Amino acid sequence: MSATPFDEMHNADGSVREPYLILEEWLKEQPPQALSLMSNDAESLFRRLGITFAVYGSNEGSEKLIPFDIIPRIVSAIEWRKLSKGIEQRVRALNAFLHDIYHRQEILKAGRVPEKLILNNSAFCPEMMGLDPARGVYSHIIGVDMVRVGPDDWYVLEDNLRTPSGVSYMLENREAMLQLAPELFQRYKVASVETYPETLRRTMESVAPAGVNGAPNLVVLTPGIHNSAYFEHSFLADQMGAELCEGQDLFVENGKVYMRTTTGPERVDVIYRRIDDDFLDPLTFRPDSMLGVPGLFDAYRAGTVTLVNAPGTGIADDKAVYTYVPEIIEFYLGEKALLKNVPTYNCTDLDQRAYVLEHLQELVVKEVHGSGGYGMMVGPASTKAMREEFRRKILARPDNYIVQPTLALSTCPTFVDRGIAPRHVDLRPYVLVGDDIRITPGGLTRVALKKGSLVVNSSQGGGTKDTWVLEE
Amino acid sequence: MLGRTAQNLFWLSRYIERAENMARMFEVGYRMSLTSRREGSASEHLISMMQAAEVDEGFNLKYKQADVNAVAHYMLFDEENYSSVRSCLLAARTNARSVRTALTLDMWESINSAWLEFSAIRPRDVNGAKLQELLGWIKQVSHRYRGALLSTFLRDSGYAFSQLGNFVERADNTARILDMKYYVLLPRASLVGSDVDVAQWTMILRAASAHRSYRHVYHDRYKAWNIADYLILRSEMPRSLSFCVDWINRTIDMLEDIYGTRTKGHDAADSVTALLADATVDRIFEYGLHEFLTEFIHRNNQITEALAESYNFY
Amino acid sequence: MLITIRHKLSLTLGPGIVRSVQHVLLTPQAGPAQTVREWAIDMPGFADAASFLDGFGNRAQLVSQHRPEAELVVSVSGVVETIDRNGVIGRVAGEPPPTLYRRPSPLAKAAGAITSKFRSGPKGGQGRIALLHDLMARVEEVVGGTPQQTQSQSQGGQSQSQSQGEAVTAAAAADFAHAFIGAARGLEIPARYVTGYVAEHGEDAYWHAWAEAWDEGLGWIGFDPTLGYCPTDKHVRVAVGLDAGSVPPVRSVPVIAAPVVELTVAGQ
Repeated sequence: MSATPFDEMHNADGSVREPYLILEEWLKEQPPQALSLMSNDAESLFRRLGITFAVYGSNEGSEKLIPFDIIPRIVSAIEWRKLSKGIEQRVRALNAFLHDIYHRQEILKAGRVPEKLILNNSAFCPEMMGLDPARGVYSHIIGVDMVRVGPDDWYVLEDNLRTPSGVSYMLENREAMLQLAPELFQRYKVASVETYPETLRRTMESVAPAGVNGAPNLVVLTPGIHNSAYFEHSFLADQMGAELCEGQDLFVENGKVYMRTTTGPERVDVIYRRIDDDFLDPLTFRPDSMLGVPGLFDAYRAGTVTLVNAPGTGIADDKAVYTYVPEIIEFYLGEKALLKNVPTYNCTDLDQRAYVLEHLQELVVKEVHGSGGYGMMVGPASTKAMREEFRRKILARPDNYIVQPTLALSTCPTFVDRGIAPRHVDLRPYVLVGDDIRITPGGLTRVALKKGSLVVNSSQGGGTKDTWVLEE
Repeated sequence: MLGRTAQNLFWLSRYIERAENMARMFEVGYRMSLTSRREGSASEHLISMMQAAEVDEGFNLKYKQADVNAVAHYMLFDEENYSSVRSCLLAARTNARSVRTALTLDMWESINSAWLEFSAIRPRDVNGAKLQELLGWIKQVSHRYRGALLSTFLRDSGYAFSQLGNFVERADNTARILDMKYYVLLPRASLVGSDVDVAQWTMILRAASAHRSYRHVYHDRYKAWNIADYLILRSEMPRSLSFCVDWINRTIDMLEDIYGTRTKGHDAADSVTALLADATVDRIFEYGLHEFLTEFIHRNNQITEALAESYNFY
Repeated sequence: MLITIRHKLSLTLGPGIVRSVQHVLLTPQAGPAQTVREWAIDMPGFADAASFLDGFGNRAQLVSQHRPEAELVVSVSGVVETIDRNGVIGRVAGEPPPTLYRRPSPLAKAAGAITSKFRSGPKGGQGRIALLHDLMARVEEVVGGTPQQTQSQSQGGQSQSQSQGEAVTAAAAADFAHAFIGAARGLEIPARYVTGYVAEHGEDAYWHAWAEAWDEGLGWIGFDPTLGYCPTDKHVRVAVGLDAGSVPPVRSVPVIAAPVVELTVAGQ
């Protein structure tokens, strides 16, 4: 890991990297103010369509737009091929891991992953033991968070195997770019991401429970309009022609799941659920959940309905389990991991903790169960007070934090107040697993709009970009 | 279609229509308070208007004095008043978000942009001419939504539930606007038929946007008998009870065509229809206009309950 | 031994409920120590229930009712033939790996008063079985002294009234079992919670709970710390789980403020 971030547009000598040559030309042709006008157009487009996200803890109606950057990020076909191979390997191994953990637990018996780490983990779901999901797939919809530090040097930050969000932004960002800069698409051959909803539908259909005649009935289960990703839930339901349901729209009778329609109950076969495990079914999980469907999990166990993703997949993307993913890949596939893991310090180990506490200023501290950029500290951008606070926190609950070196996230050209400037980015490609593993060529690029910032989360002032994978 | 989707479409239309009617009602009370000083103080007009709109109790809990500013704030902006324009627009947008996938882009945009614009308004900036402008804008919002609905919405069950919500709400509002006359304005019998009375009838017609079209239909002075006929029985008058009930029947029959069954919703619609079927203005006055309107409002409400039960709204 | 069981549970759902669902764990399965001759569960909706194996390998049913009565009555009856294997159940195909039962669970916590005595002793091989017997005796000593105090927390999931003398026994049994399980897990020994029936001295069978601990040589072995001996042919196993909370005989939604569950068992 070098200290100077990798610039995705320019070589070290200042010349433009190949995938960006045409973009460079196009940018030069743009009259002054053109980019700024485009940027305004993009904003009003998103606002009108209602693509917003709710910020936790703020008032009703105070929805924010995620800023959209009009300069696309461009990845060459060769770069993408290598990357997607690595992703596919990871996804395959993690699904095999989930199957094993919820059956014979060979990897624990072999001592390759510590037993306690899994069995004592709150993300482990004993109710899933012995269950055989359709096609053996546990996590059907995955978004892998990655950062790039060199031309072919990608690190995986997190494998989101529960209910990854953001795919609607990938699709809407492409839609916006097609409207704003159609001429640029004529000069580049950009791989399509628009097939995602159709592929999602196909994936869900392929894991329908046995005994469904004809086209299975698919629904998206949302916690409701107050959820921060509600727009995405309705967007995906709309795009794949599935009913968008809340818990109250579904019920279980005679061991089967139905939705309430204007003409009475209608059987449901596959549920893309965007409700967390804990809230999914008050009969099995949290009894106080008002969002879920009582009896849903038992119906799933009885094999009358498929849940996408399965409950209990969180055990495989737990931040503490993350460090074992290279082991997991070797154990199930007999291959070396193609993508790198970020080295992670374990604070329960005294030597490692001592190192961490001495070097807080260089390190990134993350809460094991945190997400969305909350509960984390980026060392180089931290204040003395923040470091003190985290020192206390780590000492109080060493198992609650993981610590990683600060990666030099790559930069992409980004349109900011004073023109175009490099800003740090990450990437979340989307993977669908059913009868096959399908990776959408592209993904969600998040960009830290503040100069020098490494935090790309939308809740912390990050924006997004359209991600172009070039065809060969 | 999910029962909840039908419910949301129904209420979405109701809330848009209600926002428009709240603006109309307020406008009437406001104008009366400005011009008709002879038969009551400004606040009396505003109070009687709030009684008709059934928001007077809530208002009295919060305010001591019914002045224009307080009433305007309560009816247009107050979050605690569930019938305020703000509450209606927010409820409409919340319903719209819930059924985002069932709406056309034009319908969604009309509601979404209305809410975004409305929520940017600072209530204290709204007075005098600005207030009139805002009332006009609220009516435009309702027209824009209805325009989008009529020109882009697929004519299936979703359309039927939307139209039902629209006309059940409008019928309710027209009945209430008419009833406003009876709540406080008639008791002083000596004034009936006087100039003062005419001024008040004018306001009623204005509230229903009917003061000009009245002339085209009746070629006559404003008369209580005509006005009641116009707002209750005239099927060509788009805010009359008769017109609303026609549309309720038409759309509920559409549901019967789509689903192939009659429901309790049809029975409830029949019951409202029966009330108007043989009615003449003479008979209504004989029965008592207030009593007639009360019965109408009651039966009309039952349509909502019957629909909820028949089409699994919850 | 042939054990005849009659068991009635009543569950207060409250008035005006539109839909109710239950997860029912009242079906014993055949095993090395028991053969089920007859078994029937009678409750509204049971005929259309979905039947499946849960995560612990138990036979479970998902039962539902549309507009149920305020009071839900579940009647269980059956005949089970048992043999005395000194509590040894062994290895059962299709069950989750025993290591699962080292997972800490909310109701079964290791009590220092019990485990401290055993920390240094041998935990494997021949020593383990002796250790477990000692543990059972120790639980009786420690928990047996204060049965009243622990009753309330022991039914897990839903609070249940102890209107019957037998229900008090069942609640106390849960406390004994939890103490044993918590202690065994504290010593890194997999241990699980067992529900079932006991027919002592030819008397009526009653609803009961005990524990099973794992031994690499013998597999699962039952320990009944309430009675102070390993299960015999007087025990009928119904379900196993992490603790009482994970295997209540009937779990229901909606959960109203104070559901009343009466456990009465009549034997012959």
